[in-house]
Amino acid sequence: MKTLLKTEKLGKIYGTNVVLHDIDVEINQGEIIGLIGENGAGKSTLMKIIAGVEKSSMGRMTLRGETYSASTILEANRNGIGMVFQEQSLVSNLSVSQNIFLGREKKFRKYGIVNWGKMNVVAKEALENAGVSNVEPNKKVETLPFALREMVEIAKVLNIVDENSKRGSIILLDEATTVLSEEEIQILFGQMRRMAKLGNAVVFISHRLDEIMEICDKIYVFKDGGQTAVIKKEDANLDLLYSKMVGDNNSSEYYVTSRQTVAEEEILLSVKDVSRFGEFNNVSFDVKKGEVLSICGVEGSGKESLCSVLCGDLGHTSGTIDVSGKKVNLSSPYAALKKGILVVPKDRRDEGIVGLLSIKENIVISSLDRLSVGGIYISVKKCNQISENWINKLKIKCTGIEERINKLSGGNAQKVVFARAIESEVPIVILNHPTRGVDVGAKVEIYSLIRDITEKGCAVIVLGDTLDESIGLASRIIVMKDGLVTGGFDCQADKKPTQIDVIKMMM
Amino acid sequence: MKKLSEFKLGNLKKINTESISKYMCLISVTLVVLIFFVINPKFLSLYSIQNMLLEMAPLLLLAGGITFVLFTGGIDLSAGAVASCTCVLTGLYIDNIGGWIVPLMIVLGVVIGLINGFLITAFKLPSFIVTLCATSIWKCIALISSGGGSKIIPLDKRYLVNWASAPLLGIPVMLWMTLAIIGLLYFIQRNTTVSKSILAVGANARAARMAGTNTVKAQITAMTICSVCSALAGVLYAFKMKSSVPNIGDPLGLMAIAAVALGGTSLAGGKGSVLNTIAGVATIIAVTSGMNIINVHALWKDIVIGVILIIAVFINSDKTGKDVIIK
Amino acid sequence: MKKNEIEYMKNHSVGAQFKYKIASDVKKEKIRIYAPLILLVCITIVASVTIDNFFSPKNIVNLFYQMSIPLVLATGVTFVLLIGSIDLSLEGVMGFSGALVALLVANTMNSVHLGWLGIVLTVILGTGAGVITGYLHVKLRIASFIISYAMGSIITGIGVLTYKGTPANVTWSVFDAIASESVFGVPLLTWISLSIFGLGCLILNYTAFGKAVYAIGNNEAAARSTGINVNKTKIMVFALCAFTASCAGILACVRLKIGQVSIGVNQLFPVITSVVLGGASLAGGKGGMLQTFIGVLMFTELNNILIIVGVDPNYRQLIQGIIIIVAVTLTITRSRKTITQ
Repeated sequence: MKTLLKTEKLGKIYGTNVVLHDIDVEINQGEIIGLIGENGAGKSTLMKIIAGVEKSSMGRMTLRGETYSASTILEANRNGIGMVFQEQSLVSNLSVSQNIFLGREKKFRKYGIVNWGKMNVVAKEALENAGVSNVEPNKKVETLPFALREMVEIAKVLNIVDENSKRGSIILLDEATTVLSEEEIQILFGQMRRMAKLGNAVVFISHRLDEIMEICDKIYVFKDGGQTAVIKKEDANLDLLYSKMVGDNNSSEYYVTSRQTVAEEEILLSVKDVSRFGEFNNVSFDVKKGEVLSICGVEGSGKESLCSVLCGDLGHTSGTIDVSGKKVNLSSPYAALKKGILVVPKDRRDEGIVGLLSIKENIVISSLDRLSVGGIYISVKKCNQISENWINKLKIKCTGIEERINKLSGGNAQKVVFARAIESEVPIVILNHPTRGVDVGAKVEIYSLIRDITEKGCAVIVLGDTLDESIGLASRIIVMKDGLVTGGFDCQADKKPTQIDVIKMMM
Repeated sequence: MKKLSEFKLGNLKKINTESISKYMCLISVTLVVLIFFVINPKFLSLYSIQNMLLEMAPLLLLAGGITFVLFTGGIDLSAGAVASCTCVLTGLYIDNIGGWIVPLMIVLGVVIGLINGFLITAFKLPSFIVTLCATSIWKCIALISSGGGSKIIPLDKRYLVNWASAPLLGIPVMLWMTLAIIGLLYFIQRNTTVSKSILAVGANARAARMAGTNTVKAQITAMTICSVCSALAGVLYAFKMKSSVPNIGDPLGLMAIAAVALGGTSLAGGKGSVLNTIAGVATIIAVTSGMNIINVHALWKDIVIGVILIIAVFINSDKTGKDVIIK
Repeated sequence: MKKNEIEYMKNHSVGAQFKYKIASDVKKEKIRIYAPLILLVCITIVASVTIDNFFSPKNIVNLFYQMSIPLVLATGVTFVLLIGSIDLSLEGVMGFSGALVALLVANTMNSVHLGWLGIVLTVILGTGAGVITGYLHVKLRIASFIISYAMGSIITGIGVLTYKGTPANVTWSVFDAIASESVFGVPLLTWISLSIFGLGCLILNYTAFGKAVYAIGNNEAAARSTGINVNKTKIMVFALCAFTASCAGILACVRLKIGQVSIGVNQLFPVITSVVLGGASLAGGKGGMLQTFIGVLMFTELNNILIIVGVDPNYRQLIQGIIIIVAVTLTITRSRKTITQ
């Protein structure tokens, strides 16, 4: 069996952050390969490097014996590598056949006029080739159900790759099964096996370990950007996979567990039977004063939209949310702030920092009403003073309070966002991936900040960046899976659940 | 050690490019004035300066208002049309109502701004399309109420408007008033909570929303400030021309936006200052009057303003975000 | 709506709910596509019943004559709206072309007479203005509305400069002939506008370029990743829009036999209104030639009715402004998360 693609010490660095390192993967003809790991473990990044979406910063790749690197998707396609993306990349207002041949209409063209009839016929063949027989090629993509769109996308990638390479292609599938039903998944698996049999290779990412064990010949396990194990199909079992996915626990010192507060009786936030149509159903929990509640779950478990609902960014379909015993209507983040909820968002560059503004303005932006006289006049001197205090207190590295925030490093910018949240004096703080893209030093400082807030009597809800972090910070955990709460753990400082306990409930 | 020196060098560079765009408006106004003065020294004669200062007043008001809308990353194309409308109404009714027309027009400006702001925030429409529609509506009202032509304020009522063009300490009263309003706008920009929200919405609407700013209030306030300023600018035009002119505002929107852009306010929102707008307006007025003095045909004005707008917008645009899709 | 969802939620899994949501989106989209057609039929029926001779052959021919110039303009605007941009320089290009063509054929101002070459030259120069707009838009990365706003001012200025204030009257007999000829009882101008519209249909529906336009409006990142040259396509779209504006300017000059920039005034607004009425979205990706035709026809009918009923032309413009706001409000897709600027 021939080796198609081999990586040696492959890695990726963003700024000062190592997101992927020392990856040695071997993809052979006829193989179906699984990649598993927590969110942010580096699976997707590896796929993107192979597919030409991103460039690697370390190591090298060889494709069919020759050095390989691709800087665009097109270039990867030309080398017989195609990727089906997690968020679909079809153009929904075009027909199925137009999508399959978008940018490649040349062979159907005469005097500049495209022969759609001919294209439909060829598209039909391409679809059947991929095992999709129930799609009319002249239908618009937006009229198709979601699962069929996924199949069309796979057919498209297959066709592109086939056209370019008869020597064995590589198809990358990123979370392709999330929206498919059991039946559709089986059809997809049948196709994957067929493709492999024809001398191609398939690389497959999924959060569902049973699927991975069913279909994959070889499983690579990722953890914190590194590769922890290669497991053959016959050796694979759930316990082994779980144990390889979770690494060593960081020490309790790292998460400042000694300062973990015991929850008081007073309930600050009470969520009752809250549902958002198509995202999560019947979620109920209370958060008490001084408590850190971790919400765990894989991507697509509904925790992200639950977070958006709680901070007022999205509406909910049914259920009630009470803050300090009073029913509230969180119609916008502004309304949520007024009721005492503020979020530290996940995507710092797009949602966290107000990039063009200064550090000072970023710190006071959530406290404007409180700092002003009558909600109108705000003293420049007062703002300056507050900002100076925060910069000194959090040791934010900058040239001064007037420096633009997008000139700061990730860790320092995140400290500013935390300063904003604390300055706003809200009783309930939601932290959505509070340490994403932050260096280790700043991480520890942020953890101790979180302890500061809870000591002051705030309630904190955390969506951790890693499972380790979620457990380390939490005084209580709830776990979500497929839009439902599947269980929970109490996490006293000296009696934390293990990562395997939690991950079993997540997957 | 090496790292430290690199860091400092990088900083120095940034300060340089940034200060250039900061002082660009001052440089450009001096340059323009110098060029015209060299070509024709009459450009800086007392009469010419007086004239330019008078010309500046209403445009400065318009531009000052538009500055706030540009802060939010939006745009108000209707400013000129609103000015036309209030110019006509002032000219027509000042002999009946007298000085009370001014507060009435301010109220009209508030109403217009609230309507624009409401449509933008409640229905999530892009500001340029809302204000484009508003342009057509207010232009029509100007045309309908004036009957299509200019009307002169009767001679016996001229005392109501003449004072505004008279000089006080060498500067027209009108300009004093405008400068006072610009001062007020500067105070708003510097010292109010709403201006912080306005700038935040322009700099990053998504992050501003997540940080709990009242984005709706910010956008509506900006639109209202702009419409009030436009309405007042229309009143000043009526005072200056001593008549109601229904198409006075047609070229003004473009001139005002060009002036604001010259002042270093980014059309993408989030940065700039009302004070810089003064220099931008001065440049535009110097260019138009200067062209007049050196006998360039008035028909060139549109072309020159258009070119200035493109250059100014380009200089102030953020060139770092290559991945951002611009429509 | 929300009641249905709560009911459905009771006994279905989250995954099933997600599929239900997608399916109902598809249904909504269908309604949105057919709504303009239904509205057009309703307006026509009401007008035919209440106004004498509205549905007579004579009035129908008249309607098509009235919509000839807007239809030409709308052909180009459809492309621009499909990529999610806007071209505010259309009035300027139209006025410039009208003014220029009058000077290049036999006229009262000068002794130049290039005949048909004059028309070709005008179209080339007009299209060139569009190329510049598109080029500046993609290369300087400035929003299309502001760059076209500025270009509109520039090109209007150049248009006025060509005749320095006193517009030329066209004396070339061909213009007379085109304006007065009829084929099968339908004016030649209508035929010309229909053929330009047909050309637009051909380009949008039967070429790779047309599909690239749809792809860019719907999902620019995906379009780029399939190897479509996005910048080139955008420049071509602006060129195409300027081409139609230029043709419209020449047609207007044929009709009025006088070349001045004011023939472009107040043309932009009705055209954008019409295209949006037909169901095009300002956000891009939605719309098409057939929808544009429906939109222009509907708008012309409405205008026709207002004229017959005897509404002041100034008020008509006011009504247009209100119509477009309502139409845009109904067609724009929005979520709670978005903030428009």
